[in-house]
Amino acid sequence: MLSVKFFIVHAFTDRLHGGNPAGVVVLEEWLPDEQLQQIAKENGLPETAFFVPEGARFALRWFTPEIEMDLCGHATLATAHVLKAMLGYPGENMVFRSESGQLEVSEANGLYTLNFPSRKPLPAELPDIIRQSLDRMPVAVLKARDYLLVYASEEDVRDIRINRQLIDQINIDPGGVIITAPGRQIDFVSRFFTPQASHFEDPVTGSAHCSLIPYWAGQLNKKEMKALQLSERGGTLYCVDAGSRVLISGSAKTYMSGTLYIDN
Amino acid sequence: MEIPFFQVDAFTDQPFKGNPAAVCITDSALPETTMQQIAAENNLAETAFVSQAAGTFNLRWFTPLTEVPLCGHATLATAHTLWQQGLADPLQEIRFDTQSGRLTAVRNEDWITLNFPSLTGHTVHLPQEVQEILGVTPVHTIDVFNRYLVEVATEAEVYDVCPDFARLTPYPKVIVTAKAAAGSGYDFISRFFAPCIGINEDPVTGSAHCCLAPYWSAKLGKPEMQAYQASSRGGALRVKVDGDRVLLSGQAVTLIRGAYIINN
Repeated sequence: MLSVKFFIVHAFTDRLHGGNPAGVVVLEEWLPDEQLQQIAKENGLPETAFFVPEGARFALRWFTPEIEMDLCGHATLATAHVLKAMLGYPGENMVFRSESGQLEVSEANGLYTLNFPSRKPLPAELPDIIRQSLDRMPVAVLKARDYLLVYASEEDVRDIRINRQLIDQINIDPGGVIITAPGRQIDFVSRFFTPQASHFEDPVTGSAHCSLIPYWAGQLNKKEMKALQLSERGGTLYCVDAGSRVLISGSAKTYMSGTLYIDN
Repeated sequence: MEIPFFQVDAFTDQPFKGNPAAVCITDSALPETTMQQIAAENNLAETAFVSQAAGTFNLRWFTPLTEVPLCGHATLATAHTLWQQGLADPLQEIRFDTQSGRLTAVRNEDWITLNFPSLTGHTVHLPQEVQEILGVTPVHTIDVFNRYLVEVATEAEVYDVCPDFARLTPYPKVIVTAKAAAGSGYDFISRFFAPCIGINEDPVTGSAHCCLAPYWSAKLGKPEMQAYQASSRGGALRVKVDGDRVLLSGQAVTLIRGAYIINN
Protein backbone atom coordinates (compact mmCIF):
# COMPACT_ATOMS: atom_id res chain seq x y z
CA MET A 1 0.00 0.00 0.00
CA LEU A 2 1.35 3.38 -1.06
CA SER A 3 0.31 6.49 0.84
CA VAL A 4 0.76 9.95 -0.64
CA LYS A 5 -0.15 13.44 0.53
CA PHE A 6 -3.38 14.75 -0.95
CA PHE A 7 -4.89 18.24 -0.70
CA ILE A 8 -7.98 20.02 -1.95
CA VAL A 9 -7.43 23.73 -2.57
CA HIS A 10 -9.92 26.40 -3.62
CA ALA A 11 -8.01 28.51 -6.16
CA PHE A 12 -8.55 32.08 -7.44
CA THR A 13 -10.42 33.07 -4.32
CA ASP A 14 -9.70 34.32 -0.82
CA ARG A 15 -12.77 32.65 0.69
CA LEU A 16 -13.58 28.99 1.26
CA HIS A 17 -16.11 27.41 -1.14
CA GLY A 18 -15.35 30.12 -3.71
CA GLY A 19 -12.98 29.86 -6.66
CA ASN A 20 -12.22 26.57 -8.38
CA PRO A 21 -11.51 23.42 -6.35
CA ALA A 22 -8.44 21.40 -7.37
CA GLY A 23 -6.96 18.20 -6.03
CA VAL A 24 -3.19 18.20 -5.51
CA VAL A 25 -1.36 14.87 -5.19
CA VAL A 26 2.25 14.95 -3.97
CA LEU A 27 4.27 12.13 -5.59
CA GLU A 28 7.87 10.92 -5.21
CA GLU A 29 7.74 9.24 -8.63
CA TRP A 30 5.14 8.81 -11.37
CA LEU A 31 2.34 6.29 -11.02
CA PRO A 32 0.94 4.57 -14.13
CA ASP A 33 -1.23 6.96 -16.22
CA GLU A 34 -4.22 4.72 -15.64
CA GLN A 35 -3.92 5.20 -11.88
CA LEU A 36 -3.63 9.01 -12.22
CA GLN A 37 -6.84 9.00 -14.26
CA GLN A 38 -8.56 6.72 -11.71
CA ILE A 39 -7.67 9.09 -8.85
CA ALA A 40 -8.97 12.12 -10.79
CA LYS A 41 -12.17 10.26 -11.62
CA GLU A 42 -12.70 9.03 -8.06
CA ASN A 43 -12.46 12.46 -6.42
CA GLY A 44 -14.60 14.06 -9.13
CA LEU A 45 -12.93 17.49 -8.86
CA PRO A 46 -12.75 19.63 -12.03
CA GLU A 47 -8.98 19.04 -12.09
CA THR A 48 -6.44 17.09 -10.07
CA ALA A 49 -2.75 18.05 -10.31
CA PHE A 50 0.04 15.51 -9.78
CA PHE A 51 3.62 16.59 -9.28
CA VAL A 52 7.04 14.96 -8.85
CA PRO A 53 10.25 16.81 -7.82
CA GLU A 54 12.82 16.98 -10.65
CA GLY A 55 15.99 18.61 -9.35
CA ALA A 56 15.13 22.24 -8.64
CA ARG A 57 11.91 21.95 -10.68
CA PHE A 58 8.71 19.95 -10.45
CA ALA A 59 7.14 17.87 -13.20
CA LEU A 60 3.43 18.69 -13.28
CA ARG A 61 0.43 17.00 -14.93
CA TRP A 62 -3.31 17.69 -14.72
CA PHE A 63 -6.29 15.34 -15.11
CA THR A 64 -10.03 16.01 -15.28
CA PRO A 65 -12.32 13.09 -14.30
CA GLU A 66 -12.28 12.19 -18.03
CA ILE A 67 -8.97 13.19 -19.66
CA GLU A 68 -5.43 14.54 -19.20
CA MET A 69 -5.31 18.32 -19.81
CA ASP A 70 -2.66 20.20 -21.81
CA LEU A 71 -2.68 23.17 -19.41
CA CYS A 72 -4.53 24.07 -16.24
CA GLY A 73 -4.17 27.35 -14.38
CA HIS A 74 -6.16 26.86 -11.21
CA ALA A 75 -4.62 23.47 -10.39
CA THR A 76 -1.15 24.97 -10.98
CA LEU A 77 -1.98 27.80 -8.58
CA ALA A 78 -3.29 25.17 -6.13
CA THR A 79 -0.03 23.19 -6.47
CA ALA A 80 2.07 26.28 -5.77
CA HIS A 81 -0.11 27.02 -2.73
CA VAL A 82 0.41 23.46 -1.43
CA LEU A 83 4.19 23.80 -1.89
CA LYS A 84 4.34 27.15 -0.09
CA ALA A 85 1.61 26.97 2.55
CA MET A 86 1.44 23.25 3.34
CA LEU A 87 4.90 21.82 2.54
CA GLY A 88 7.07 24.80 3.54
CA TYR A 89 8.81 25.30 0.18
CA PRO A 90 11.44 27.98 0.95
CA GLY A 91 11.78 29.84 -2.37
CA GLU A 92 9.59 32.60 -3.81
CA ASN A 93 9.61 31.08 -7.30
CA MET A 94 8.43 27.64 -8.25
CA VAL A 95 9.26 26.21 -11.66
CA PHE A 96 7.14 23.48 -13.25
CA ARG A 97 7.83 21.38 -16.33
CA SER A 98 4.59 20.61 -18.16
CA GLU A 99 3.17 19.50 -21.48
CA SER A 100 2.76 23.24 -22.19
CA GLY A 101 6.42 23.99 -21.52
CA GLN A 102 8.01 25.57 -18.48
CA LEU A 103 5.60 27.36 -16.14
CA GLU A 104 6.73 29.62 -13.33
CA VAL A 105 4.74 30.65 -10.29
CA SER A 106 5.86 33.30 -7.83
CA GLU A 107 4.34 34.05 -4.44
CA ALA A 108 4.18 37.30 -2.51
CA ASN A 109 1.92 37.94 0.49
CA GLY A 110 -0.39 35.03 -0.34
CA LEU A 111 -0.90 36.16 -3.94
CA TYR A 112 0.32 33.65 -6.53
CA THR A 113 1.34 34.79 -10.01
CA LEU A 114 1.32 32.28 -12.87
CA ASN A 115 3.63 32.97 -15.81
CA PHE A 116 1.80 31.21 -18.65
CA PRO A 117 2.01 31.17 -22.46
CA SER A 118 -0.07 33.78 -24.28
CA ARG A 119 -2.49 32.12 -26.69
CA LYS A 120 -3.79 34.99 -28.76
CA PRO A 121 -7.09 34.02 -30.36
CA LEU A 122 -7.76 34.67 -34.05
CA PRO A 123 -11.07 35.36 -35.78
CA ALA A 124 -12.88 32.07 -36.40
CA GLU A 125 -16.07 30.54 -37.74
CA LEU A 126 -18.48 29.39 -35.05
CA PRO A 127 -19.49 25.72 -35.56
CA ASP A 128 -23.24 25.39 -36.23
CA ILE A 129 -23.78 23.14 -33.23
CA ILE A 130 -22.39 25.78 -30.87
CA ARG A 131 -24.39 28.54 -32.60
CA GLN A 132 -27.64 26.55 -32.29
CA SER A 133 -27.04 25.87 -28.59
CA LEU A 134 -26.86 29.60 -27.68
CA ASP A 135 -29.87 31.73 -26.71
CA ARG A 136 -28.09 34.91 -27.89
CA MET A 137 -25.47 35.61 -30.55
CA PRO A 138 -21.96 36.96 -29.90
CA VAL A 139 -20.68 40.16 -31.51
CA ALA A 140 -17.36 38.47 -32.36
CA VAL A 141 -15.99 34.91 -32.48
CA LEU A 142 -12.31 34.01 -32.08
CA LYS A 143 -10.37 30.84 -31.38
CA ALA A 144 -7.08 29.66 -29.94
CA ARG A 145 -7.40 26.41 -27.92
CA ASP A 146 -10.88 27.54 -26.91
CA TYR A 147 -13.63 29.29 -28.81
CA LEU A 148 -13.89 32.84 -27.47
CA LEU A 149 -17.35 34.36 -27.88
CA VAL A 150 -17.48 38.10 -27.25
CA TYR A 151 -20.70 39.76 -26.08
CA ALA A 152 -21.66 43.40 -25.63
CA SER A 153 -22.50 43.39 -21.93
CA GLU A 154 -21.83 41.75 -18.58
CA GLU A 155 -25.56 40.90 -18.41
CA ASP A 156 -25.22 38.72 -21.53
CA VAL A 157 -22.45 36.74 -19.84
CA ARG A 158 -24.45 36.40 -16.60
CA ASP A 159 -27.75 35.48 -18.27
CA ILE A 160 -26.68 33.36 -21.27
CA ARG A 161 -28.36 29.98 -21.54
CA ILE A 162 -26.64 27.17 -23.42
CA ASN A 163 -28.59 24.11 -24.57
CA ARG A 164 -26.46 21.36 -23.08
CA GLN A 165 -27.96 18.53 -25.11
CA LEU A 166 -27.11 20.34 -28.35
CA ILE A 167 -23.63 21.53 -27.44
CA ASP A 168 -22.73 18.08 -26.08
CA GLN A 169 -22.76 16.84 -29.69
CA ILE A 170 -19.38 18.54 -30.24
CA ASN A 171 -16.02 17.48 -28.79
CA ILE A 172 -13.34 20.17 -28.61
CA ASP A 173 -11.03 18.44 -26.06
CA PRO A 174 -8.97 19.78 -24.46
CA GLY A 175 -10.70 23.06 -25.23
CA GLY A 176 -13.97 24.70 -24.33
CA VAL A 177 -16.16 27.71 -25.00
CA ILE A 178 -15.37 31.07 -23.37
CA ILE A 179 -18.18 33.61 -23.05
CA THR A 180 -16.82 37.11 -22.37
CA ALA A 181 -17.76 40.80 -22.25
CA PRO A 182 -16.43 44.07 -20.85
CA GLY A 183 -17.21 44.37 -17.12
CA ARG A 184 -19.23 47.15 -15.57
CA GLN A 185 -16.82 47.83 -12.70
CA ILE A 186 -13.98 45.61 -13.83
CA ASP A 187 -12.01 45.26 -17.06
CA PHE A 188 -13.64 42.08 -18.33
CA VAL A 189 -15.84 39.20 -17.20
CA SER A 190 -16.10 35.63 -18.49
CA ARG A 191 -17.53 32.14 -18.08
CA PHE A 192 -16.16 28.83 -19.39
CA PHE A 193 -18.05 25.78 -20.64
CA THR A 194 -16.71 22.36 -21.70
CA PRO A 195 -19.00 20.26 -23.91
CA GLN A 196 -19.22 16.55 -22.95
CA ALA A 197 -17.46 17.08 -19.60
CA SER A 198 -18.88 15.99 -16.24
CA HIS A 199 -18.34 19.59 -15.07
CA PHE A 200 -20.06 21.52 -17.88
CA GLU A 201 -19.23 24.95 -16.44
CA ASP A 202 -15.76 25.40 -14.95
CA PRO A 203 -15.87 27.73 -11.93
CA VAL A 204 -12.61 29.63 -12.64
CA THR A 205 -10.34 28.89 -15.58
CA GLY A 206 -6.75 30.11 -15.62
CA SER A 207 -5.94 28.63 -19.04
CA ALA A 208 -8.87 30.47 -20.67
CA HIS A 209 -7.19 33.70 -19.55
CA CYS A 210 -4.17 32.79 -21.73
CA SER A 211 -6.46 33.87 -24.60
CA LEU A 212 -8.68 36.39 -22.78
CA ILE A 213 -5.71 38.52 -21.69
CA PRO A 214 -4.16 39.17 -25.14
CA TYR A 215 -7.65 39.72 -26.61
CA TRP A 216 -8.79 42.28 -24.01
CA ALA A 217 -5.34 43.93 -23.81
CA GLY A 218 -5.78 44.75 -27.52
CA GLN A 219 -9.42 45.85 -27.18
CA LEU A 220 -8.94 47.97 -24.05
CA ASN A 221 -5.39 49.05 -24.88
CA LYS A 222 -4.26 48.10 -21.36
CA LYS A 223 -1.47 45.87 -20.09
CA GLU A 224 -2.84 45.34 -16.58
CA MET A 225 -6.41 44.23 -16.07
CA LYS A 226 -8.66 42.82 -13.38
CA ALA A 227 -11.08 40.08 -14.38
CA LEU A 228 -14.00 38.23 -12.80
CA GLN A 229 -15.23 34.79 -13.76
CA LEU A 230 -18.98 34.89 -13.21
CA SER A 231 -19.66 31.26 -12.25
CA GLU A 232 -21.74 30.43 -9.18
CA ARG A 233 -18.56 30.00 -7.07
CA GLY A 234 -16.92 33.01 -8.69
CA GLY A 235 -13.27 33.93 -9.02
CA THR A 236 -11.01 36.99 -9.23
CA LEU A 237 -7.97 37.12 -11.53
CA TYR A 238 -5.35 39.86 -11.76
CA CYS A 239 -3.99 39.84 -15.32
CA VAL A 240 -0.94 41.24 -17.12
CA ASP A 241 -0.27 41.06 -20.87
CA ALA A 242 3.49 40.49 -21.26
CA GLY A 243 3.88 39.84 -24.97
CA SER A 244 4.42 36.13 -25.56
CA ARG A 245 3.51 35.42 -21.93
CA VAL A 246 0.63 36.30 -19.64
CA LEU A 247 0.76 36.80 -15.87
CA ILE A 248 -2.31 35.59 -14.01
CA SER A 249 -2.52 36.19 -10.26
CA GLY A 250 -4.90 34.96 -7.58
CA SER A 251 -5.26 33.73 -4.01
CA ALA A 252 -5.97 30.26 -2.66
CA LYS A 253 -7.42 28.49 0.39
CA THR A 254 -6.66 24.95 1.58
CA TYR A 255 -9.95 23.10 2.13
CA MET A 256 -8.75 19.54 2.83
CA SER A 257 -5.44 18.12 3.94
CA GLY A 258 -5.01 14.37 3.94
CA THR A 259 -3.48 11.14 2.71
CA LEU A 260 -4.45 9.03 -0.27
CA TYR A 261 -3.96 5.25 0.02
CA ILE A 262 -3.41 3.29 -3.17
CA ASP A 263 -2.28 -0.19 -4.18
CA ASN A 264 1.04 -0.27 -5.98
CA MET B 1 -11.70 24.14 12.86
CA GLU B 2 -10.73 20.74 11.46
CA ILE B 3 -13.31 18.07 10.62
CA PRO B 4 -11.92 14.54 10.21
CA PHE B 5 -12.86 13.15 6.81
CA PHE B 6 -12.57 9.72 5.17
CA GLN B 7 -13.33 8.61 1.64
CA VAL B 8 -14.26 4.95 1.53
CA ASP B 9 -15.15 2.57 -1.30
CA ALA B 10 -17.98 0.40 0.05
CA PHE B 11 -19.04 -3.13 -0.97
CA THR B 12 -15.58 -3.99 -2.29
CA ASP B 13 -12.12 -4.89 -1.02
CA GLN B 14 -10.35 -2.99 -3.82
CA PRO B 15 -9.81 0.77 -4.26
CA PHE B 16 -11.71 2.44 -7.15
CA LYS B 17 -14.38 -0.30 -7.09
CA GLY B 18 -17.60 -0.54 -5.07
CA ASN B 19 -19.54 2.62 -4.23
CA PRO B 20 -17.60 5.63 -2.87
CA ALA B 21 -18.87 7.54 0.17
CA ALA B 22 -17.42 10.28 2.34
CA VAL B 23 -17.59 10.00 6.14
CA CYS B 24 -17.18 12.96 8.52
CA ILE B 25 -16.75 12.22 12.21
CA THR B 26 -17.37 14.95 14.79
CA ASP B 27 -17.79 15.09 18.57
CA SER B 28 -21.05 16.97 18.28
CA ALA B 29 -23.41 17.39 15.36
CA LEU B 30 -22.43 20.04 12.80
CA PRO B 31 -24.84 22.77 11.70
CA GLU B 32 -27.03 21.54 8.83
CA THR B 33 -25.73 24.26 6.47
CA THR B 34 -22.14 23.11 7.10
CA MET B 35 -23.05 19.48 6.38
CA GLN B 36 -24.82 20.45 3.15
CA GLN B 37 -21.88 22.62 2.05
CA ILE B 38 -19.38 19.79 2.66
CA ALA B 39 -21.58 17.30 0.76
CA ALA B 40 -21.93 19.78 -2.12
CA GLU B 41 -18.12 20.10 -2.37
CA ASN B 42 -17.70 16.34 -2.42
CA ASN B 43 -18.87 15.27 -5.88
CA LEU B 44 -19.83 11.93 -4.30
CA ALA B 45 -23.28 10.36 -4.25
CA GLU B 46 -23.45 10.54 -0.44
CA THR B 47 -21.57 12.03 2.50
CA ALA B 48 -22.29 10.55 5.95
CA PHE B 49 -22.03 12.67 9.11
CA VAL B 50 -21.64 10.76 12.34
CA SER B 51 -21.37 11.99 15.93
CA GLN B 52 -21.28 10.07 19.18
CA ALA B 53 -24.23 10.14 21.60
CA ALA B 54 -24.28 8.02 24.81
CA GLY B 55 -23.55 4.49 23.52
CA THR B 56 -25.01 5.12 20.05
CA PHE B 57 -24.07 7.22 17.05
CA ASN B 58 -26.19 9.83 15.33
CA LEU B 59 -25.94 9.34 11.58
CA ARG B 60 -27.19 11.54 8.73
CA TRP B 61 -26.63 11.33 4.97
CA PHE B 62 -26.43 14.18 2.45
CA THR B 63 -26.20 14.15 -1.35
CA PRO B 64 -24.67 17.24 -3.02
CA LEU B 65 -28.24 18.64 -3.15
CA THR B 66 -30.18 17.43 -0.12
CA GLU B 67 -30.44 15.24 2.99
CA VAL B 68 -31.66 11.68 2.31
CA PRO B 69 -33.52 9.38 4.76
CA LEU B 70 -31.50 6.17 4.21
CA CYS B 71 -28.26 5.12 2.54
CA GLY B 72 -26.78 1.62 2.73
CA HIS B 73 -23.31 2.07 1.27
CA ALA B 74 -22.53 5.21 3.32
CA THR B 75 -23.64 3.35 6.48
CA LEU B 76 -21.26 0.50 5.65
CA ALA B 77 -18.51 3.09 5.01
CA THR B 78 -19.25 4.74 8.38
CA ALA B 79 -19.15 1.48 10.35
CA HIS B 80 -15.88 0.54 8.59
CA THR B 81 -14.35 3.90 9.53
CA LEU B 82 -15.49 3.85 13.19
CA TRP B 83 -13.93 0.41 13.69
CA GLN B 84 -10.78 1.22 11.71
CA GLN B 85 -10.21 4.38 13.76
CA GLY B 86 -10.81 2.56 17.06
CA LEU B 87 -13.87 4.72 17.79
CA ALA B 88 -16.16 1.70 18.28
CA ASP B 89 -15.67 -1.57 20.21
CA PRO B 90 -14.75 -4.28 17.65
CA LEU B 91 -16.63 -6.94 19.66
CA GLN B 92 -19.87 -4.96 19.95
CA GLU B 93 -22.48 -4.00 17.41
CA ILE B 94 -22.60 -0.35 16.36
CA ARG B 95 -25.99 1.27 16.84
CA PHE B 96 -26.91 4.20 14.61
CA ASP B 97 -29.84 6.53 15.28
CA THR B 98 -31.08 7.84 11.93
CA GLN B 99 -34.08 9.38 10.21
CA SER B 100 -35.04 5.77 9.34
CA GLY B 101 -34.83 4.65 12.96
CA ARG B 102 -32.22 2.45 14.65
CA LEU B 103 -29.78 0.68 12.29
CA THR B 104 -27.10 -1.72 13.46
CA ALA B 105 -23.80 -2.96 12.09
CA VAL B 106 -21.74 -5.94 13.27
CA ARG B 107 -18.29 -7.06 12.19
CA ASN B 108 -16.90 -10.49 11.38
CA GLU B 109 -13.23 -10.25 10.37
CA ASP B 110 -13.26 -7.75 7.49
CA TRP B 111 -16.93 -8.26 6.58
CA ILE B 112 -19.49 -5.83 7.97
CA THR B 113 -23.15 -6.79 8.25
CA LEU B 114 -25.98 -4.24 8.21
CA ASN B 115 -29.49 -5.11 9.39
CA PHE B 116 -32.01 -3.60 6.94
CA PRO B 117 -35.73 -4.13 6.19
CA SER B 118 -36.79 -6.87 3.74
CA LEU B 119 -38.85 -5.33 0.92
CA THR B 120 -41.34 -7.42 -1.05
CA GLY B 121 -43.67 -6.46 -3.91
CA HIS B 122 -46.26 -7.76 -6.34
CA THR B 123 -46.12 -8.98 -9.94
CA VAL B 124 -46.70 -6.37 -12.63
CA HIS B 125 -46.27 -6.03 -16.38
CA LEU B 126 -43.18 -4.01 -17.38
CA PRO B 127 -44.33 -1.29 -19.82
CA GLN B 128 -43.37 -2.08 -23.42
CA GLU B 129 -41.44 1.19 -23.73
CA VAL B 130 -39.27 0.35 -20.69
CA GLN B 131 -38.56 -3.10 -22.15
CA GLU B 132 -37.41 -1.41 -25.35
CA ILE B 133 -35.25 1.21 -23.56
CA LEU B 134 -33.55 -1.53 -21.53
CA GLY B 135 -33.42 -3.95 -24.48
CA VAL B 136 -34.59 -6.85 -22.31
CA THR B 137 -37.21 -9.58 -22.41
CA PRO B 138 -38.49 -9.91 -18.82
CA VAL B 139 -38.99 -13.36 -17.33
CA HIS B 140 -40.80 -11.79 -14.37
CA THR B 141 -41.32 -8.21 -13.12
CA ILE B 142 -42.37 -7.05 -9.67
CA ASP B 143 -43.21 -3.60 -8.36
CA VAL B 144 -41.36 -3.18 -5.07
CA PHE B 145 -40.47 -0.06 -3.01
CA ASN B 146 -41.46 2.24 -5.91
CA ARG B 147 -39.16 0.52 -8.36
CA TYR B 148 -39.33 -2.23 -10.95
CA LEU B 149 -37.40 -5.41 -10.26
CA VAL B 150 -36.97 -7.07 -13.66
CA GLU B 151 -35.70 -10.64 -13.88
CA VAL B 152 -34.17 -11.64 -17.21
CA ALA B 153 -33.04 -15.06 -18.44
CA THR B 154 -29.25 -14.69 -18.59
CA GLU B 155 -26.31 -12.81 -17.08
CA ALA B 156 -25.38 -11.60 -20.56
CA GLU B 157 -28.72 -9.82 -20.85
CA VAL B 158 -27.94 -7.90 -17.61
CA TYR B 159 -24.43 -6.93 -18.79
CA ASP B 160 -25.75 -5.82 -22.20
CA VAL B 161 -28.27 -3.27 -20.85
CA CYS B 162 -27.25 0.14 -22.22
CA PRO B 163 -30.26 2.42 -21.81
CA ASP B 164 -30.93 5.86 -23.28
CA PHE B 165 -31.10 7.57 -19.87
CA ALA B 166 -33.05 10.59 -21.17
CA ARG B 167 -35.81 8.20 -22.33
CA LEU B 168 -35.75 6.27 -19.03
CA THR B 169 -36.00 9.40 -16.86
CA PRO B 170 -39.84 9.62 -16.76
CA TYR B 171 -40.06 6.04 -15.45
CA PRO B 172 -39.50 4.66 -11.93
CA LYS B 173 -36.13 3.26 -10.86
CA VAL B 174 -35.28 -0.16 -12.34
CA ILE B 175 -33.34 -3.15 -11.02
CA VAL B 176 -32.36 -5.65 -13.74
CA THR B 177 -31.32 -9.04 -12.39
CA ALA B 178 -30.55 -12.60 -13.45
CA LYS B 179 -29.47 -15.86 -11.86
CA ALA B 180 -25.67 -15.99 -11.90
CA ALA B 181 -23.87 -18.32 -14.28
CA ALA B 182 -23.03 -21.71 -12.75
CA GLY B 183 -19.52 -21.79 -11.27
CA SER B 184 -19.29 -17.97 -10.97
CA GLY B 185 -19.37 -18.16 -7.17
CA TYR B 186 -22.46 -15.91 -7.11
CA ASP B 187 -26.17 -16.71 -6.81
CA PHE B 188 -27.49 -13.68 -8.69
CA ILE B 189 -26.25 -10.51 -10.36
CA SER B 190 -27.97 -7.15 -10.84
CA ARG B 191 -27.68 -3.55 -12.05
CA PHE B 192 -29.60 -0.52 -10.80
CA PHE B 193 -30.75 2.49 -12.85
CA ALA B 194 -32.30 5.62 -11.33
CA PRO B 195 -32.18 8.52 -13.84
CA CYS B 196 -35.45 9.82 -12.28
CA ILE B 197 -33.38 10.94 -9.24
CA GLY B 198 -30.36 12.01 -11.27
CA ILE B 199 -28.38 8.77 -10.90
CA ASN B 200 -28.07 7.05 -14.28
CA GLU B 201 -26.51 3.92 -12.82
CA ASP B 202 -25.63 3.44 -9.16
CA PRO B 203 -22.41 1.42 -8.70
CA VAL B 204 -23.52 -0.73 -5.73
CA THR B 205 -26.86 -0.33 -4.00
CA GLY B 206 -27.75 -1.58 -0.52
CA SER B 207 -31.47 -0.76 -0.83
CA ALA B 208 -31.78 -2.70 -4.13
CA HIS B 209 -30.56 -5.78 -2.27
CA CYS B 210 -33.32 -5.32 0.34
CA CYS B 211 -35.63 -6.13 -2.63
CA LEU B 212 -33.40 -8.66 -4.40
CA ALA B 213 -32.68 -10.81 -1.32
CA PRO B 214 -36.30 -11.89 -0.56
CA TYR B 215 -37.02 -12.27 -4.30
CA TRP B 216 -34.12 -14.64 -5.02
CA SER B 217 -34.42 -16.36 -1.63
CA ALA B 218 -37.95 -17.51 -2.52
CA LYS B 219 -36.91 -18.43 -6.06
CA LEU B 220 -33.73 -20.35 -5.18
CA GLY B 221 -35.08 -21.77 -1.91
CA LYS B 222 -32.15 -20.62 0.24
CA PRO B 223 -31.84 -17.87 2.84
CA GLU B 224 -28.17 -16.98 2.27
CA MET B 225 -26.80 -15.86 -1.08
CA GLN B 226 -23.79 -14.27 -2.76
CA ALA B 227 -24.63 -11.28 -4.95
CA TYR B 228 -22.70 -9.24 -7.50
CA GLN B 229 -23.74 -5.80 -8.75
CA ALA B 230 -22.44 -5.71 -12.32
CA SER B 231 -21.86 -1.94 -12.76
CA SER B 232 -18.59 -0.79 -14.33
CA ARG B 233 -17.09 -0.33 -10.82
CA GLY B 234 -18.69 -3.55 -9.59
CA GLY B 235 -19.40 -4.68 -6.04
CA ALA B 236 -19.93 -7.87 -4.03
CA LEU B 237 -22.47 -8.47 -1.25
CA ARG B 238 -23.54 -11.38 0.93
CA VAL B 239 -27.25 -11.28 1.71
CA LYS B 240 -29.34 -13.26 4.19
CA VAL B 241 -33.09 -13.11 4.64
CA ASP B 242 -34.09 -13.25 8.30
CA GLY B 243 -37.87 -12.89 8.68
CA ASP B 244 -38.81 -9.33 7.80
CA ARG B 245 -35.16 -8.20 7.81
CA VAL B 246 -32.29 -8.56 5.36
CA LEU B 247 -28.71 -8.88 6.57
CA LEU B 248 -26.47 -7.15 4.02
CA SER B 249 -22.76 -7.87 4.31
CA GLY B 250 -19.89 -6.20 2.52
CA GLN B 251 -16.30 -5.10 2.77
CA ALA B 252 -14.89 -1.59 2.50
CA VAL B 253 -11.57 0.06 1.76
CA THR B 254 -10.35 3.51 2.84
CA LEU B 255 -8.98 5.59 -0.02
CA ILE B 256 -8.46 8.99 1.59
CA ARG B 257 -8.00 10.03 5.19
CA GLY B 258 -7.79 13.71 6.02
CA ALA B 259 -9.43 16.75 7.54
CA TYR B 260 -11.48 19.63 6.23
CA ILE B 261 -10.15 22.98 7.36
CA ILE B 262 -13.11 25.33 7.69
CA ASN B 263 -13.59 28.87 8.98
CA ASN B 264 -9.90 29.62 8.47
